[in-house]
Amino acid sequence: MNAVSDIAPPPPQVDLELRGIAKNFGDFVALEHVDLSIERGEFVAIMGPSGCGKTTLLRIVAGLESMSSGQLLLRGQDISALPVHKRSTRLVWQNFALFPHLNVRRNIAFGLTLGRHDKAAVKAKVDEIAELVQLGQFLDRRVSQLSGGQKQRVAIARALVTEPEILLLDEPLSALDAHLRIRMQSEMKRLQQRLGLSFLYVTHNQSEAFSMADRVVVMNKGRIEQFGPPEEIYTRPKTHFVAEFVGSNNIFDGKVVDVQGGLIMVQCADAIISAAAGERPPGKGSTVSLVVQADKVRSHPTGVPGENSLRAVLSGREFTGSQVIYYLETAGGGEVKMVAQEPFSQTERAAINMAMQLYWSPADTVVLRPGIVPGVENMPGRRSYVALGT
Amino acid sequence: MVSASDSRPIPAGVLEAADGGFSPIKVLGIGIPLAYSLTFFAAPLVFLVVLGFWLVEDFQVVPAFSLENYLDIAQHMFAKSNYALAIAQSLWVSLTTAFFAVLLCYPMVLAIVYVAPRSRHRLLLMLAVAPFWSSYVLRLFSWQILLANKGIINSALAWADYENLQINLIDTQTATRIGLIHYLAPILIVVLYVTVANIDRELIQAARDLGATRWQAFRRVILPMSRTGLLVSASFAAIVSFGDVLAGSLLGGGVGNSVLGSVPLFSTMIMTEYASSTNLPRTSALAMILASAAVSAIVIHRVPEAMRRPWYDQIEPAR
Repeated sequence: MNAVSDIAPPPPQVDLELRGIAKNFGDFVALEHVDLSIERGEFVAIMGPSGCGKTTLLRIVAGLESMSSGQLLLRGQDISALPVHKRSTRLVWQNFALFPHLNVRRNIAFGLTLGRHDKAAVKAKVDEIAELVQLGQFLDRRVSQLSGGQKQRVAIARALVTEPEILLLDEPLSALDAHLRIRMQSEMKRLQQRLGLSFLYVTHNQSEAFSMADRVVVMNKGRIEQFGPPEEIYTRPKTHFVAEFVGSNNIFDGKVVDVQGGLIMVQCADAIISAAAGERPPGKGSTVSLVVQADKVRSHPTGVPGENSLRAVLSGREFTGSQVIYYLETAGGGEVKMVAQEPFSQTERAAINMAMQLYWSPADTVVLRPGIVPGVENMPGRRSYVALGT
Repeated sequence: MVSASDSRPIPAGVLEAADGGFSPIKVLGIGIPLAYSLTFFAAPLVFLVVLGFWLVEDFQVVPAFSLENYLDIAQHMFAKSNYALAIAQSLWVSLTTAFFAVLLCYPMVLAIVYVAPRSRHRLLLMLAVAPFWSSYVLRLFSWQILLANKGIINSALAWADYENLQINLIDTQTATRIGLIHYLAPILIVVLYVTVANIDRELIQAARDLGATRWQAFRRVILPMSRTGLLVSASFAAIVSFGDVLAGSLLGGGVGNSVLGSVPLFSTMIMTEYASSTNLPRTSALAMILASAAVSAIVIHRVPEAMRRPWYDQIEPAR
């Protein structure tokens, strides 16, 4: 090792820090002690089912909603008590929220013309940002004459032109059609990287979150279930909820019957399934859930020694173009999903009601045990399944 | 994705049924309002126009085509009856009434929409509209009692030992305006409520998020987006005030005082003229002048509106 690589990289600058944010609407707990830290220039996506509190969290950061308790730090400065119009956060709205009585230019310039301003400087800034989002030729149009994608660009330009310290996006692509959404995704990611600006992006769409974000927050019932890079969320879910919500995972509940040779054996409804034990394996007799991704499951006429194997009957098949999803039923009535990338393999020709031998590696099996959700250790009465050894 | 533009003209063929013929429902849909307008608007108007050219001979109305009524009125425009001054008085009173009516109702509507909880809107609107259920004349008489020189307000002031603080509003055009505003307010509040309640709250929040203070959000978003509602309610108030005769007679005392002096309203003048002369053709001619003044007011207000619309709004967008 040479001297240069020994120098530790500078600690990442934190753009936004959420400390113990909680929000109650009467008796309803919308957010329960949320901690989150976003680094400078990071693209963070918050993902979760509707009603999980993700939009409330975003509105609290923007200052449009008050919080019941907690602290907000933006670039080290406490903004908890700052009113909405004094915060240097900008929100991009789901339905764009463009001013219909103003043309594109005036919409973009809105935030620049509220205080003392130099007209020529405003014009130059608007022209520059319009060029950046490819709106140069539409500046004199009315908002009602724009397409959905153009409206979204105006909304983004209107926020960016004020040079915010973080951009908050509330499902900004959900009002667009599927084709445009894909195009806007890459456009948005490019823009974010070019500007080096932190994006906090709320979505219920998993592919959107995974394709754009550096790190993904999975939320449920007002708390963060997992926060990490998309690959980690996908391959190493930490909680039962994340395993269920993300991707197409198979989940088996059971009791640990044996721990040996770095593996734990779990008695599930249909078979004994083994998984890598990790650093702190659960004791014999403890209840766990095992998670395996549908694309890790394979089928073989006789089964493969050393792998987990399970007999199941094919009950349905879904051809999606690039892959085939098989739905199988075990003898105990459990459902198993298997995703095959090669549509013309022998499994493709499998007939409905045919019995199949499924196999997958214990290394691909994630163990979740009942436990307390990380980040809310101090909150009593909240139990869920959490991952081991990750 | 091309969003539907509200300024797009109605496509041709909307009246035709699918087979190219006219469907009975569409014929009925057009026919009923058409018959209504012909009976209750066009026919009386035509009658009024025609009657204006007729003459009175030996106390009998005689059909004719004479400009005598109009010439006579023209001669008295600036002399004797002084119609011009009465028209000016009417314009002044109606425009100021409209101004103050909107000035009073708009903040009230803003308070209902933005201060009161949404669940209370209906109740507050009902309370605002409640005066409308009592008779207009009855309300004017009530104001007479309130505003009279020895009326309730002055008596109350005297009783409270403010002997030298007496108001003298009765028989002035200010009293006329009070009566008119009381009459107009419920309608204006409903019209303005519809406008203001339809402003998307997200737009206000978006403005605040972009750095606007509460006042700036009002000034830059709510006010410009209320423009149509404000114009409609103000024109409505002005037109109704211009033609109204009761408030001017019962509260303004017929020749109520204003900055223009003790001059009657034009509508009051028409009524007194008819009462004293029973010359129907001449009264019709006067009424025509009143009507055309109101119509030209609308035209004057619409023309700059149309001219202000940018060119690209008047052509159909390319597909």
